[in-house]
Amino acid sequence: MTLLGKRLARPDALDKVTGAARYPADIVRDDMLRLKVVFAQRAHARILSIDTAEALAVPGVVAVLTARDVPYNRYGLVEEDQPVLCDGVVRYWGDKVALVVAENVRAAELGAQCVRVAYEDLPAVTDARAGMARDAQRVHAGRADNVLKHVRIRKGDVERAFASAHVVLEGEFETSWQEHAYLQPDAGVAYYEDGTLVVETAGQWLHEDRKQLAKMLGLAPEEVAVRYAKIGGAFGGREDLSVQTLLALATWKLQRPTAIVWSREESIVGHHKRHPFWIRAKWGAARDGRIVAAQTELIADGGAYASTSAEVLKGATLFATSTYEIENVASDGYAVYTNNVPSGAFRGFGAPQAHFAAECMVTRLAHALDLDPVEIRRRNVYREGSIEPTQHPLPAGVSAAAVLERCVEEARARMHYGMPDLRPRTHLRRGVGIASGIKNVGYSFGFPEQATATVELFGEREIERAIVRVGAADVGQGAHAALRQIAAETLGLPPHAVRMITDDSARAPDAGSASASRLTLMGGRAVKDAADAAKAKFPGPDAKATVQFRPPATTALDPQTTAGRPNYSYGYVSQAVEVEVDTRTGQIRILKIVSAHDVGRAIDEQLVEGQIEGCLAQAVGYVLTEHLQLRDGKILTPHFSTYLLPTTLDMPTEVYPVLLELADPNGPFGARGVAEMPLVPFAGAVANAIYAATGAWVTQLPMTPERVLAALSASAQLVPHERPRDPVMPLDQHR
Amino acid sequence: MSVAPPKMLATLRVNGAEIACAFNPNRTLLEVLREDLALTGTKHGCEMGHCGACTVLVDGETVLSCLTLAVECVDREIVTVEGMAGAGELHPLQRAFVECGAAQCGYCTPGMLLSAAALLESNGAPRKSEIEAALAGNLCRCTGYVKIVEAVALAAERMREAAHA
Ligand code: FES
Ligand code: FES
Repeated sequence: MTLLGKRLARPDALDKVTGAARYPADIVRDDMLRLKVVFAQRAHARILSIDTAEALAVPGVVAVLTARDVPYNRYGLVEEDQPVLCDGVVRYWGDKVALVVAENVRAAELGAQCVRVAYEDLPAVTDARAGMARDAQRVHAGRADNVLKHVRIRKGDVERAFASAHVVLEGEFETSWQEHAYLQPDAGVAYYEDGTLVVETAGQWLHEDRKQLAKMLGLAPEEVAVRYAKIGGAFGGREDLSVQTLLALATWKLQRPTAIVWSREESIVGHHKRHPFWIRAKWGAARDGRIVAAQTELIADGGAYASTSAEVLKGATLFATSTYEIENVASDGYAVYTNNVPSGAFRGFGAPQAHFAAECMVTRLAHALDLDPVEIRRRNVYREGSIEPTQHPLPAGVSAAAVLERCVEEARARMHYGMPDLRPRTHLRRGVGIASGIKNVGYSFGFPEQATATVELFGEREIERAIVRVGAADVGQGAHAALRQIAAETLGLPPHAVRMITDDSARAPDAGSASASRLTLMGGRAVKDAADAAKAKFPGPDAKATVQFRPPATTALDPQTTAGRPNYSYGYVSQAVEVEVDTRTGQIRILKIVSAHDVGRAIDEQLVEGQIEGCLAQAVGYVLTEHLQLRDGKILTPHFSTYLLPTTLDMPTEVYPVLLELADPNGPFGARGVAEMPLVPFAGAVANAIYAATGAWVTQLPMTPERVLAALSASAQLVPHERPRDPVMPLDQHR
Repeated sequence: MSVAPPKMLATLRVNGAEIACAFNPNRTLLEVLREDLALTGTKHGCEMGHCGACTVLVDGETVLSCLTLAVECVDREIVTVEGMAGAGELHPLQRAFVECGAAQCGYCTPGMLLSAAALLESNGAPRKSEIEAALAGNLCRCTGYVKIVEAVALAAERMREAAHA
């Protein structure tokens, strides 16, 4: 083993620092027709008529496409319920009603302004909880109600356990939308090449994009090729199709190359977000600190279309008990259709919302029991063989306890965690919060999981070079570098002797999506196994092998018992966060972060650290500054002037990624995924830190100064306590 | 229908080369660089002055090319990411970005590099807080800035060493 863990320069680094890297907007050519979307700009309405005559009269406008031009006008990653162009009804502000195709951008824009659409507004559902009511307006006519998905998990008997618990606490939590804000706005081109319709954009899953596009046009998958240019970030936001359908449709219809480049506003209005959740939790513990029961209701705003809501909800419902083995669990998750922007995949996939509630509840239980917040975690954390809420043992390789201990060790060293604060009391209060988390690596609940790679070897007596074909998107975090490193290590080659073919559905086999923290494990195993298989044939005329890697199967939950094996691999994380609260203004400053992860095996330490640091920045934004606001279905914050991403000045000066390497049984060289983990417990860690600093519980995300001030004034007192008791827990409820 | 204003003929000095071009006076430097001069290294991320992806240098100062008209830059020295490397050799900032893993998706990288170059031009030994302040107008959604700040510090150190050698 020579290359593993090494900090190697990424294969694309040179192009990225010289400006040579080509992103989707950089491959637009002058001879391409330009596209402009006519967005609905209302939450819910019936389309009475679409008049395109005036638009078609604009010089340069070539066509105006509407629903009737789309051969199969329903698409979606999980459920096909979204129209490419609206047919009769619009269900959210960013719904696409028409597509103007013109010789140049200016004409396309003018044309879009001249499309006349007559609407009859319908009552809009803009609150998920209200939308669950039986008599609520339906977002999709013909459905019995607006509940898109209900997930039920039962283990033991919570009612009995609550009755005999020493302490029982209840809490309510609310989270908001989060915008992916990948820095490269959606863009792409489409053209024909030797009779194949090529769509070249940025996405997260070549072969799935191809499947959906082919279906839309009634073509065989082989008649469409999806290629990825350099991808300027994704984070789940490119998992659903956005501009790809428009490009494919227009080029297929007009038989000419087309291009589209969205503005930031179009990107924010036009693609899905992280789900807002409303969570009610009730947790009970025995006097010795054993958590005996947890009951949770989670309601997610799914927005107008299904996207990946059902899958996100399954994850959130499963992780309602975080990383603790609890004998009695009752969790009910609901995803609800509304006339808001669709919600879907975003780094963490439901886990951050669920953990926010769970990690606050655990700390509150600790205080109510006069236990240290670490100690209560230690007594309940998952161990090898622990039983999940779905009644089966966790997959082998459970490292939650080791990760927690390592995090606490680092927190003591870096933050004086556990030492009394001797500084004079001012309006600036400091505190450290601890939180843990768990997140699946790879697809869950029986979703078909595989990754395929082909490795071909060249050389006389020794292997001199290799070609690796693996259809896996590098959304920016370095998947291609990691996969190359795995191949090079397996073959004993220097990395530059391995050529990677990765970004063309026609030239590389399907390795699945760049999501669920899965590519290093899944794509990596496929590459490693294919490299081993090819090596076994070397030297020889045909030293080439294609391997499809399938991990241990997962299962859907039994509808009666709710038992099942939801995942085959998990990542484990614990964090310590030190905050400073300005009790006058409600401003939170994050001073230090320790983020400890079991990464199984770091293929490249620099890439792993980069993932953790970058994900933490998104977590800081999620918890503090990023406030996507909607009114009556309209996004009020469609620019970076109102939707605030963290800058260099918002990030803590001390960020400590801590890597443990406790092998995953399935991962290549033991590697696990890490991409999403830092977001998972972070909100809980910050809430716990604010409580440690002030005795106030902030239960809404983002934690804006107004909300912090409100929490401070609602808390019993502002004086920091050595060992604060839970403020909403009257002592007489102790048994 | 509006009639496009007449194009103006002008010479732009970009990355040391004099380039004669014709563009409408209402076009931004970002558009002219990317569309007329095919210098697509300069990125668009918002076109409203919020993200810094379009940062270039004009007479050594950082400028948001999405908010700057090309006509304002006539007779001035424009530097884009394509002009950072010397003959066959990366700028020390570029090398440090590669080594430190400071470019993930890379979309913010050109703007970051030029903001950093302007800083190092005026301050050869910046403190960490000064680097952070100089890059505060450049958003990055991938890296969390840690490795970017490290890379700038490393490049500064190497440039100081090279100057003393
Ligand atoms: S594109 Fe110029 S600042 Fe964003
Ligand atoms: S590296 Fe992706 S935005 Fe900075």
